[in-house]
Amino acid sequence: MTDAPTREEIALYARNIGLTLPAAYLDELASAYANVRILIATMPTGRPHGDEPAHIFDPAKFQPVSAADVKA
Amino acid sequence: MPATDLHFLTIAEAARLIAQRDLSPVDLTAAYLRRIEALDSQLDSFVTVTADLARTQARAAEAEITAGTHRGPLHGIPYCLKDIYETAGIRTTAMSKLLADNVPARDSFCGEKLAAAGAVLLGKNATWEFAHGGPSWDVLFPPARNPWNRDHSPAGSSSGSGAAIAAGFAPATLGSDTGGSIRGPAAANGIAGLKPTYGLVSRRGVIPNCFTHDHAGPLAWTCEDLAILLQTIAGHDPEDPASAAVPLPDYRAALTGDVKAMVIGVPWAWFDELPLSPSTRSAFEASLSVFKDLGAEIRPVTLPSLQDYEYSKKIIAVAELFTIHGHDLRTRPALFGASLRYRIIAGGLVRAEEYIQAMRWRTDLARAMQNVMATVDVMMLPTQEPAGKLEPVPPETLFTKLSFTTAFNVGGNPALSICNGFNDQGLPFSLQIVGKLFDDATVLQAGDAYERATPWRQRRPDLHA
Repeated sequence: MTDAPTREEIALYARNIGLTLPAAYLDELASAYANVRILIATMPTGRPHGDEPAHIFDPAKFQPVSAADVKA
Repeated sequence: MPATDLHFLTIAEAARLIAQRDLSPVDLTAAYLRRIEALDSQLDSFVTVTADLARTQARAAEAEITAGTHRGPLHGIPYCLKDIYETAGIRTTAMSKLLADNVPARDSFCGEKLAAAGAVLLGKNATWEFAHGGPSWDVLFPPARNPWNRDHSPAGSSSGSGAAIAAGFAPATLGSDTGGSIRGPAAANGIAGLKPTYGLVSRRGVIPNCFTHDHAGPLAWTCEDLAILLQTIAGHDPEDPASAAVPLPDYRAALTGDVKAMVIGVPWAWFDELPLSPSTRSAFEASLSVFKDLGAEIRPVTLPSLQDYEYSKKIIAVAELFTIHGHDLRTRPALFGASLRYRIIAGGLVRAEEYIQAMRWRTDLARAMQNVMATVDVMMLPTQEPAGKLEPVPPETLFTKLSFTTAFNVGGNPALSICNGFNDQGLPFSLQIVGKLFDDATVLQAGDAYERATPWRQRRPDLHA
């Protein structure tokens, strides 16, 4: 796992995703992100290129349901 | 039957009496409404009671049945819905200040199915905010309490649903389960709750928590009642992209009481990773003995670690939650309860690569689950420890805390929680029964056989005005 980001880096990350947070919420974000990093650090890595994730797109699932859904 | 006892009828018992015209849906509905009015201020299990609608639907059911049309076992049976199920013309808040004025235009798929079956809507049940963050005291309504002991938690997130069934406020309710939110409340409240196979029950009109792990499902007093409810709400829905087009068995017909030669797997190594209290272990082993006496075979099984299942799900969930709530977090973060906000705010910092790697991890873990399930008929383990005190939970603990439930959201397998006894404080123990994909019938069969062989369905919480 890489070093924990500083508070300033967290503030920059937040701005990059459009979160302009008051100080109290920025502390929440820093604390919560530290916990998320713990989870991410345990993920297996070094996978084969062809390893498919668990959310493969099935086009048949997105056909019109009713006549009202069909637009000319 | 005395009117004072109507509220503890199971769905199956009430349905039989209604079909024989020995019980009026109007009287049954009135009994529940009286009980809710008298006692729910102690439990806060409802956030909305639809008394007028319920009376109207009960009168319509009674008129139809009297005229000779009986739609089936839910005709005239009262039920309630977790307040994340959208209800046409009825406020649906997800317990959140963000949805304080949300009145949907359309019912959920499950709500439409129950209405078509002639069931009677009593109201909407308390949940954790957006079925995720809680318990919270800074959201739209107070958290529900446990009817076995009001100082204890009914667990979550289908907390009001679990409490309402145990308290005799309704015989049926629907909840949702993304990491254990049907099974946890079923366990804490000593009732039966089923997370069906992913895709068996449509999530259309159920406010999402985490798309890839969300399941809709029933809670009731017995497995027989769950079978009746599942028969009604299961089925393909082209409006839910996760919905599976599979043939439905007769779930109630599977409840033979016979589990002879059933092969039960037990993931013993998980109890080293998440140790059981001595009393919970003892209740679990006693339950296995019941199944052995009924002719089942018990085998050890080995799965990937609980931590792998838990962490993969939480990485995916935090990213999906941020996707769902990102706009509100950017524009009105103060309207979230602190617990939910803490649990989702970092989701925006999960990189696309990390999300997709977590989805690859899920593939491995789901495959491993199905490989093990191919060697047994069902798997059994406790659902959770008996209910703890109802008190704020430090939100940072929720990221790394392990559970016995989340793995089956990752796998998508059907998973049932039933009551398997009571501890020395009178709080319920719980047994979880997990099945192969789309073999929900065998899960219910095992649960029903256990309920028939044990006395636990005879005990109810003692509530007084």
